[in-house]
Formats: sequence, structure tokens, C-alpha cells
Amino acid sequence: MDIQTQKEANATVLTLSGRMDAVTAPEFEGVIKQLIADNITSFVVDFQGLDYISSAGLRALLATAKLLKGKGGQLRFANITGTVKEVFDISGFGSIFQMHDSVAAALAEIS
Amino acid sequence: MIKVEHLSKRFGNLTVLSDISTTVCKGEVISIIGPSGTGKSTFLRCLNLLDQPSGGSILIDGVDLLDKHTDVPKIRQKMNMVFQSFNLFSHLTALENLTIGQTRLHGMGKNEAEQKSHELLKLVGLAEKANAYPDELSGGQKQRVAIARCLAMEPEIILFDEPTSALDPTMVSEVLAVIRRLAKDGMTMLIVTHEMDFARDVSSRVFYMDEGGIYEEGTPQQIFEQPQREKTRAFINRVRSFNYQITGPDYDLYAMNAEIEIFCERQILPRRTRHNLLLLVEELLQLHQPLMSTTALELSIAHSEKHDTLEIMLENSGKALNPLENTLQGDDLGLKIITGLTESITYQRLNNKNRVTLLMN
Repeated sequence: MDIQTQKEANATVLTLSGRMDAVTAPEFEGVIKQLIADNITSFVVDFQGLDYISSAGLRALLATAKLLKGKGGQLRFANITGTVKEVFDISGFGSIFQMHDSVAAALAEIS
Repeated sequence: MIKVEHLSKRFGNLTVLSDISTTVCKGEVISIIGPSGTGKSTFLRCLNLLDQPSGGSILIDGVDLLDKHTDVPKIRQKMNMVFQSFNLFSHLTALENLTIGQTRLHGMGKNEAEQKSHELLKLVGLAEKANAYPDELSGGQKQRVAIARCLAMEPEIILFDEPTSALDPTMVSEVLAVIRRLAKDGMTMLIVTHEMDFARDVSSRVFYMDEGGIYEEGTPQQIFEQPQREKTRAFINRVRSFNYQITGPDYDLYAMNAEIEIFCERQILPRRTRHNLLLLVEELLQLHQPLMSTTALELSIAHSEKHDTLEIMLENSGKALNPLENTLQGDDLGLKIITGLTESITYQRLNNKNRVTLLMN
């Protein structure tokens, strides 16, 4: 999995590509924990380039959300489509997280 | 057309073929399948005397191939061979590879040979490559030129020795398409192949070779759906299934995935099915993660083309434990994904083993 970080005015955008599985999910958690340690607490995760996510990936997202909640942060998702969306729907994640059709739409909702 | 009686072939003390007897009729397409090292290629090579048989007889239209007075080059023109490694002349263009045999062996005029060669290159979809050298062609294109060259000699029988084994998976279908077309046109062919779907589709008869002979033969339906003998059954099951052992918690997920991908490619599974299969296997292994340090896991995936289903089975010899009930991950995310993507999911304790079976379609 490749993780690109882009700082925007009101949030940091994490663009994921490749696979988020049992091997790579810890990488994502490591990156985001480091950013949170640097006092960044608003995130948009862009799933456009992600073509695989397993429960290990979902757990990493859930752990991130919990961590941010404790710090009053925000986490929004953009561009969840195809097989990734199917996994979100099956696992009930679609109703837990704030999902948007584009990164711009997600950023616009960040207060 | 071809009658083989008591054919044997030894290399020193090693008996590769022992006592093969069979008959091939005009227009038959025979696929020869079986494990490596069971004499499939040697059998073909004996048929046109690239390997000299140690015993027995081969009759082609009643002519004894092993008779000292038989005109072997003439018989070879009647029964031409296509090789795994193409064997094209690298210093000649595609067109020249086709014309050389016609002018030198058939005594055909250059113009006539070229005209015919152009037609044959067109037949295999390579009209535009007539002036290309072998090095300028892809593997699939080289093999199609080799097939056209074989056809240029107007054979009555074509022997194919693993014609797609040296090709990238992406190029296999273009070569198989040409062979299918020849089968449709009534060419008599014997094809040594590892492409089981192709063998099933194209053949009128299938030879399963093992123990130095034709261990079992029958229609594709008989061999692939109802093999009668033990080794045939084991081979067909192996072809249709994938097995992998996970020996510890630090297993290499990507190495395993790569092997599953190869299995999927062989079974010609759609991309979405491949994706879901990989996901299900990862989830199933995640459910078993806490057990991995104490017991090995045996993964098997079986594809039933007939029912269009995939069965994923994971077994371990640890103490009785249903990983579906005791969600060891602390949540049910993996189980939700598995349930959402499968038709059924079952746990059994059988022969002191825990077995979880998923069925997807």
C-alpha cells in the first residue's frame, strides 16, 4: 500500500493506493499515529486508488477513529467505490463513518 | 491412421515408455495430459522418430515407421510437429520460415510458396508480420508462425508438444485459438498440454499418461468428470484444487496470494471472484491467527466448473475449537465479511481435526 500525505487548509488528506490488508494496515496506523503525535487531528482519507481492504484494514480505520475521538479530531472518507465499498457495506462501516463522493466534498464538511 | 503397438522407449536403464498400444483415427483431436516426467513428450517424439523407439511398432496409414525401408522424411511431412520452444529459424523472416520448407522439400516455386505462406500467416492472424524476424515477435506470435510453418507442409497429422508452456499467460489464448480452429477444420492432432480447460473443450479423446503408459483414456467428460483409476482421479483433483500449508503466524501472505492468483488464472476465474477469494482466505486465516503458533493450518481451494462454485477449506489438528463461535479477534468484522461473500460457512470436527468450509459462487 502507498500512502500519500497532503496538507490542506483545514485537514490532512491521506491518499491510499494498493491493498490495505493484514500486512499493510499497521503501516497506515503507524503513519496516522505519527501525524496525531504532531498535533494533526483532522483527516480526510481518499480511497480512490485502493483496490482491496480486509477486516485488518477496517480495524485500523476503527482504531484511528477512536484515537481521534479522544482528541476531538475529525475523520472523513472520500471516494469509496467498487470492492472497497462492498466490504464497507457488508461490515456495516457505511453507517459508522462520514463518507463523501470526493475529497473536496469531504474537506468542505470539516469544521 | 496411426496404429501404435507395444511401443517402448528406454534411455539407458530408465524405461520411459513401456508397452503403449493405441489407435488414432482421422480427424481425432487427442489431448495428452499427466504429471511431468511421465513420457508424454517422449511419446510424441517417438511417433515421428525424433526419439528412436526401443521396441514395438508404429503404423501410419499402414506404413511401418520402424521398417528400414520406410521413407522417414516423407512420413514426417505427413505428421509434422510444433514444439514448445517454437524452433523458428532466427535469421529468416516469418514468411521465409514458411517458404523454405515448401521450396526445398516440396519443390514448390518461390512465388507460389510465398502466396501460400501469406495465406497461412493470414490464417493465424499474422499477415502484417510476414517480414518480421522471430526476435521482433512476441512468444505467442512466434508460436503462431511455427504453427503456420507446420501447416505449410500440408501435414495430415500435427503433433503439438506443450505449445503454450513457454508463453506468458497473456499469450496462451491466441495460440489456443489457432489450435481450436484447426480442430474445427478437422485436422488430426495429438496435443501434449497442461491447459486443462482447453483439453476438455477441444479434444475428442484424452490420454492420461502415468507409469510409462496411457494409464487411462476416455472422452473429456469421462476423464475430467468421472476418472476411474486412482492416479487419474488424484491428478484431476490436484488440477482442480489448490493446497497450501501455513506453518506459523509469520506466514507470507503475498507469497500465498501469488500462488492463489496462478490457480485462479488456470481456472479462468473472473477478476471479481479472484478478489473475493483472496479476501475470504485472508479473513479465514485472520480468524485462525491465534492458533497459528501452536498448530499448522492446511488450506485447500477447490473449483467446480460444473457447479461454478469455489470451496475453501481450512483444517488444523489443534484441540477442538470452532473459530466461528469464539471470535478471537475481539470483533466480528472478519466474520461479517465472510458471511457476506459466501453461500455457506460450516465448522466440523472430523478425525481429530477442526475444519471450516466456505462455499462461494
